Amino acid sequence: MSADYSHLSSAILEQCFGKVVQAVADCLFSATTRTLGQITSATKFSRKEVAFALAVLVKFRLVDFAASKQNPFLAEYALRREDVLCLLRYPRYVHLVQTKYGNVGASIAEELINSGSDTATGILVKCLAENENKTESPESYRNTFLQMITDHYIIKRPELLVGDDQDENVPKFETNECDFFRHPNIDLQLLAKIHKGEATLAEARDSHMVWNLNYDRFHQDFRDTIMVDAIERKLGENAAECFRFILKIMYNTTDPWERKLSNQITFVEIKQAIERKSNNLDLMKYLDQYISLLTEDSLGFFRRVGDMGGGVYVVDMEHAFESLAFACAECVITERFGSKAARIFRVIRSKKYIEQEDLQKEAMIPSKEAKSLAYNLFQEQFIHVKIIKKPGGGSNGPAKAFYLFQVKEKDTVRMLLDASYKSLYNTIERSNFEKNEHKGLIEKSQRLDSIVEAMKERGETDEYIAEIVETFTPPECEILNKVKNRIKTLSKAELTLDDTIFLLQMYQHHCTTLPTGIRKFK
Amino acid sequence: MAGRGRGGKTGTLTAEQMAMLGCTKDMPVQTAPPPTFPPVLNRPTALETTATQNYQLLWKEDFLNRMRDSPYYIVSASQDTKNLVHKDWREKAMERMKLKAHPDFNYKAMPQELNISSRKRRGADAKPKLLAKKTNIEDRLKVLEQKELKSGGGEQDEAKQESDSEQEEEDPEAALDDEMDEDNDYGATYFDNGEAFNDEDDNLDDGPVY
Repeated sequence: MSADYSHLSSAILEQCFGKVVQAVADCLFSATTRTLGQITSATKFSRKEVAFALAVLVKFRLVDFAASKQNPFLAEYALRREDVLCLLRYPRYVHLVQTKYGNVGASIAEELINSGSDTATGILVKCLAENENKTESPESYRNTFLQMITDHYIIKRPELLVGDDQDENVPKFETNECDFFRHPNIDLQLLAKIHKGEATLAEARDSHMVWNLNYDRFHQDFRDTIMVDAIERKLGENAAECFRFILKIMYNTTDPWERKLSNQITFVEIKQAIERKSNNLDLMKYLDQYISLLTEDSLGFFRRVGDMGGGVYVVDMEHAFESLAFACAECVITERFGSKAARIFRVIRSKKYIEQEDLQKEAMIPSKEAKSLAYNLFQEQFIHVKIIKKPGGGSNGPAKAFYLFQVKEKDTVRMLLDASYKSLYNTIERSNFEKNEHKGLIEKSQRLDSIVEAMKERGETDEYIAEIVETFTPPECEILNKVKNRIKTLSKAELTLDDTIFLLQMYQHHCTTLPTGIRKFK
Repeated sequence: MAGRGRGGKTGTLTAEQMAMLGCTKDMPVQTAPPPTFPPVLNRPTALETTATQNYQLLWKEDFLNRMRDSPYYIVSASQDTKNLVHKDWREKAMERMKLKAHPDFNYKAMPQELNISSRKRRGADAKPKLLAKKTNIEDRLKVLEQKELKSGGGEQDEAKQESDSEQEEEDPEAALDDEMDEDNDYGATYFDNGEAFNDEDDNLDDGPVY
């Protein structure tokens, strides 16, 4: 975890939870584990405030705790660094749930996000309270909730182990993977009573089962979307649909977060799945041709490894994300230095090691320009130099050496990732600056909007409303519109940067052996 | 030394190595830090705003406002007093709402030290005990006052009771028996008024005793 990521996660936590939580998280970021006393002395806030901040972070699953090995009565806290960035992805998660499960699902996801983690009955009560005027029944909410658990979008937290010693300072939990998606017992009648105020949440039978969003399940869908969209752009809709079915078959036999290759998939399995579930006649008719298109394409998503059962194939995640990550890197180089620099980068990458003279010949770029662009790429660490000393040379004069350009792929991706973190941090800070700079104007506008709404509800005349609206002068209106546009552009940039960060993180997971914190069950 | 790139990112390379890479004297020598906003080669492409992105942007704005108004957004007490800015009606209303909305923590699933509100403190307990004593004392005084008032009305009855007790005391043997019945060595009504001080029973003829 780099310093850029540290600043970014600090900015994200300050946006969502305030300065106290930010300070506590900063203290935990720079250490493996810390105790409450150590955090209090490091942050200079009161013990009460630090304890409250830690409780918030534990509730939102950003901090883990465990009993200290030296003293089992003392808790040590550790920050889940990789999960801090997931706070920025909440809008994407809610949008995905909305497209799959409709407004009911979006409402459930929203309540889970707002409360961090909660029991099933607690979440459904809040959803029912929020949607008073709508026609959705408690049954539809319950069914959607259970469906989201079945599809693994919601996961249960480890249950509390109730021990003999009730005064345990540090509680212990039972981790059982088979239990993570066990359906809770939701009593609809009790739910209706609680909603009316005739009963309390304490009477619910599922109070020991706490649920939260399963981020990695959403990341699995985002990853699939990236791959399917890439194939659709290059090979067309039918090939993309074929690949979507292939991925579904893959998940039946392979861990979704398998790093390099999937388990084998036969042609017969693909054909049967498409004939059963697809309505695309073209795809069914020319299936073998679409599959050969996918296997022969340079993207390398799909590979043939055998001939049994009409053909045995594997999904090559490593090759897929290598292609995608370097396509992204080439786009960045094109934006910054131009298309000729991108060509130089591609040549160096394809040749592995190449000298300056050979480079300008292969890239077909004039010598001076090639040297300048190569040096710029070298300065920005997109390419590196390998020095190989020539043997011999005698005692006269300096030893000669070969200077070869190369692309160190993992280093280049890490550099791009750090640059993205820095850009995202700058975007957030600029957005906060714009909001603080024009805070008075924004608040005046919000006050005016609420007054106008209240007046419309009361049935005031349009002329009177227009008089009130005119208190906001045209210059103020113009400034406010400019500020709003700037903030909107910065927010869009945040979403786009997060897409890039996600792609590069997928490269790190599938193409390196670095620990990424991504796994099936967290 | 040649090879000093931006922030030293390029590492160290000698002039000869730089020449081998094609970096000749024509290359511009950096004499100042790079500008904060360097000129961009191409105009940045305008970001598209699809319906999906619009939804996400609006949701995010709502989410940040909700989090700011939630009880999980912590403002330090020390920071709050420093910001001695006049708060408008909206901020005051929000603070009142925040005070009403309590954070929903499951303290059973967290270390006990995080549950500050339920922890017993010696100092905090001492004060309620003192207060309780005071109220008890006041109540007790009132009760005693009432008893005295009641006893004032019933004095005549008490006088009759006393005369009965005096008749009992005229019987010295009975009084002695009463005294013998008590556990202590001293009579409850014993009083020496000093009249027997000069009695001849005092053994002072032998002179002073040293």
